[in-house]
Amino acid sequence: MDIFELIQQAITKIRGYFFKMARGSSNNSKKGSGKPRRVISLFVLLIIVIWGIASSLFVVDETEQGVVLRLGKYQRTENSGLKLKIPFRIETSTTVPTQIIQNMNFGFRTQQAGIVSQFSRDYPEESTMLTGDLNIIDVEWIIQYRIDEPEDWLFNVDQRSKTIRDISQSVVNQLVGDYYINDVLGSVRTEIEELALIRHNAVFEDYKLGITVIAVRLQNIVPPAGSVQDAFEDVNKAVQDMNRLINEGREEYNRTIPKARGEAEQMVQIARGYATERVNEAKGDVARFSAILTEYNASPRVTRERLYYETVESILAEGSTPAQIIDSNFENLLPLLQIDQNNPLGGIQ
Amino acid sequence: MSKRLTFLTGLIIFIAIVIALGPFFVVEEGEQAVITRFGQIVNVETEAGLKIKIPIIDQVRTYSKKILSWDGEPRRVPTLEKQFIWVDTSARWRIVDVRRFYSSINLLEQAYSRLDDIIESTVRTVIAQNKLVEAVRNSNAILQRTANDIETFLPDTQSEDDQEGLVEISNLLTQLEEQPEIEIGREALSVEMFELIKTQVPNFGIEMIDVVIRQIRYSDDLTDSVYNRMISERKQIAQAYRSWGEGRKQKLLGQLENEQRAIQSVAYNESEQIKGEADAEAASIYATAYNRNTEFFSFYRALESYRKTIPNLPKVLSTEAEYFDYLYDKDGQ
Repeated sequence: MDIFELIQQAITKIRGYFFKMARGSSNNSKKGSGKPRRVISLFVLLIIVIWGIASSLFVVDETEQGVVLRLGKYQRTENSGLKLKIPFRIETSTTVPTQIIQNMNFGFRTQQAGIVSQFSRDYPEESTMLTGDLNIIDVEWIIQYRIDEPEDWLFNVDQRSKTIRDISQSVVNQLVGDYYINDVLGSVRTEIEELALIRHNAVFEDYKLGITVIAVRLQNIVPPAGSVQDAFEDVNKAVQDMNRLINEGREEYNRTIPKARGEAEQMVQIARGYATERVNEAKGDVARFSAILTEYNASPRVTRERLYYETVESILAEGSTPAQIIDSNFENLLPLLQIDQNNPLGGIQ
Repeated sequence: MSKRLTFLTGLIIFIAIVIALGPFFVVEEGEQAVITRFGQIVNVETEAGLKIKIPIIDQVRTYSKKILSWDGEPRRVPTLEKQFIWVDTSARWRIVDVRRFYSSINLLEQAYSRLDDIIESTVRTVIAQNKLVEAVRNSNAILQRTANDIETFLPDTQSEDDQEGLVEISNLLTQLEEQPEIEIGREALSVEMFELIKTQVPNFGIEMIDVVIRQIRYSDDLTDSVYNRMISERKQIAQAYRSWGEGRKQKLLGQLENEQRAIQSVAYNESEQIKGEADAEAASIYATAYNRNTEFFSFYRALESYRKTIPNLPKVLSTEAEYFDYLYDKDGQ
């Protein structure tokens, strides 16, 4: 409503201005009848001029390049800024985002990019593939590319994003088909990424697609969900078990052997102690014997008797078991001993 | 003055009519055009730019000059070993001879349906002549791969002993995962398909650029049995790891027993030697001393011995003992 009113107002204003102009000029001229026709032609001319100006300018963003066609034929490529072209659709322009790195997801789609991106993983027809050992695996990946040659990008290949998808799928499928499933799950990830990057670019260069693939990144690689995945999990567990068993063995070893070494050392030390003791005892005994022998040699009889009595004394002294003395002249005496209950054999206690 | 004006106006109107009827047409970049007059091709424009035709009479039909994609539905195809797999191929092509294309196919949709027939039958033929591995794998590189990533699973592999063990388990696992050799490979199969297709299309003014296998999947009824095989394979591998670990443990325990016994027996040997030597030394010390007076030694040693043993024995002594000599007789007679 407002816009229409505004336009109407503008038109009336312009018309008024032209009428004024026309009147002003008609005052100086003779032909009064030419007034309205001239006004109309001026008005048409103005529209043509505005259209001409509008269609001769175009804006190319910093992230883009603009491709200019003259009557359908490629003319030039413009960098960012306000650019001129021949108006009235003689030259047309298309802008291509050449600076922006574009992503393409395989096996999943980003639903909502954000701080917490949401993915839907509903594309098994893209991610299911076969490995070299004829196993099934689920591989998700992304590629990142940038348009390098805008005119190649625009004019050489039809259905460009489909072409990129087809080739990427074919390349990744083929690479995965050359490895063991175990390797794909683990160690050859980067190898596949690197090879895939090279092959992508080789094919696209061949097509003159005008893009450069910057990165191929494998994302989620998993065996088929369910019992197969469990079986793969079990292999990991088995590796853990293997390590646990080996460690148990080592633990046992480490628990026993150092102790055994210590015990062995102890045994030897005890033996050494015994040896020292034995020799020293022998030396002591001998020293004592030698001393007494010297004395004995000086006065044998007295020494001998002294030793004898001293010994018997100590044997029969207080603290030893009571002794019975029997006269040797009692001939018919039956020796009757009270056998100690606690010591029936009467042996040494 | 007025005459000239009317002439000019007339001329402008004439030109406007001619332009409106269209003697000019634009071929855009990436397009090509066929100009027909009463059903006959009179001209072909393959370069972009402003072109001329006879208004009303000449008809222009434009075709793409770009690389076009062909994408077939995945097809269920049997391999040489009669396993059914889904093969998904895609191809790229372009119209190179637009004159021939116009006369033999005319519409793009028609071209697609022709390509469907040709490519699908070719894919079927080539796949059916080859084993599944030929279509899956591209090279024999997989045969060169040892199970070297197992190394990372082992706790540490510094000792020579563990290196031996590593070789052991590697052999075990590679045996489980031994792969057949392939003769052709996926890329070569694609090329084979491409060559076969290429010979069938030039009559249409079409040039094939490539044919690639986009994806291969097992058919649904095969998938389950493959899952089962995968599970049993994993079980075998898991078992290999576990039993190897168990074996290593037992080996370590044996080694332990061995070393323990060795340590103990060496210690026993050493300690007995030490003791024996000491005993010998003591004996020689005693002997040297006691030999100086053997008679006194006997007496002395006997006394020593009595002193140790007799006090605790039950004793009945006879007065005949020398000790009691003086008990009844002050002279000891």
